[in-house]
Amino acid sequence: MSNLAWLFVAVMIVWIAIGAYLVSLSFRQRKLEARMAEISSSEDTA
Amino acid sequence: MEMTGRDRKLIWLGAAAWTAIAISVVLIFFVARTAQATMGGQLQRIFYLHVPAAWVAYLAFAIVFLASIAYLRTNDRRWDNLAHSSAEIGVLFLALVLITGPIWAHPVWGTWWQWDARLTSTLVTWLTYVGYLFIRNLTVEPRRAGRLAAVIGIVGLVNIPIVHFSVYWWRTLHPSGPTPANPVANSGLGAPELTAFFASLAAFTLLFAWLLSMRTRLGRLADRVDDLELQAVTRGPRQPAAHRREVVVT
Repeated sequence: MSNLAWLFVAVMIVWIAIGAYLVSLSFRQRKLEARMAEISSSEDTA
Repeated sequence: MEMTGRDRKLIWLGAAAWTAIAISVVLIFFVARTAQATMGGQLQRIFYLHVPAAWVAYLAFAIVFLASIAYLRTNDRRWDNLAHSSAEIGVLFLALVLITGPIWAHPVWGTWWQWDARLTSTLVTWLTYVGYLFIRNLTVEPRRAGRLAAVIGIVGLVNIPIVHFSVYWWRTLHPSGPTPANPVANSGLGAPELTAFFASLAAFTLLFAWLLSMRTRLGRLADRVDDLELQAVTRGPRQPAAHRREVVVT
């Protein structure tokens, strides 16, 4: 593989890793918000 | 959900970070000149991601250190949340350092990995903070896990000067790079390269600040959910509304 191709691989790895971390943050936030809504609704119905 | 002042700041910080990243990408690929073939030629541009990622990891672990001390002194969950969030991001960026370094080294050194002082100490640092994150899941009691992790967060910082100065203290394959006293020495960097480098450094720092703000917000949300769950458990099932009314009347 040429140096340019390796450079492309390195750059892709960096941005995919940061993108994946952002997705994981968003996923975790949605999960917590759903849990919060669930607790609130169960308190309201009780 | 209504947008708070904190949310607006987060949006502005994110916009600033991504603008800085866009500018640095242009500088890295269109302004910085191609290095000599002995340094990897085009591949040497990895340096503009590799070094700022290492800087972010240093910064993240310094925050872990300070926040861990503050947590042990005050027992305030907010400090623990800051330390935990910063460690998570530091581990991510140090992993990127450990991945991008060998990609550059493979064609230049002829090997992916050398057990030299810089590479080994960086790996040990990464494993230390992976341990920090792992230990938080070992115990179910969050305060106990936080205090245990805080001790690792404080002791772990010892690794940083070892990583940084390893290239001066021992003979290593890793380039020594510029020193604070002489930023141009050993670097072979001219004005276009230094501009791209510092732009990338600033962009990564802004990106770190944005990620840290989002991660600490997530930690606060998790704490609120824990509190609500605890309240729901301690309160037990509520009495029917009619009965409650009756109690109030009597």
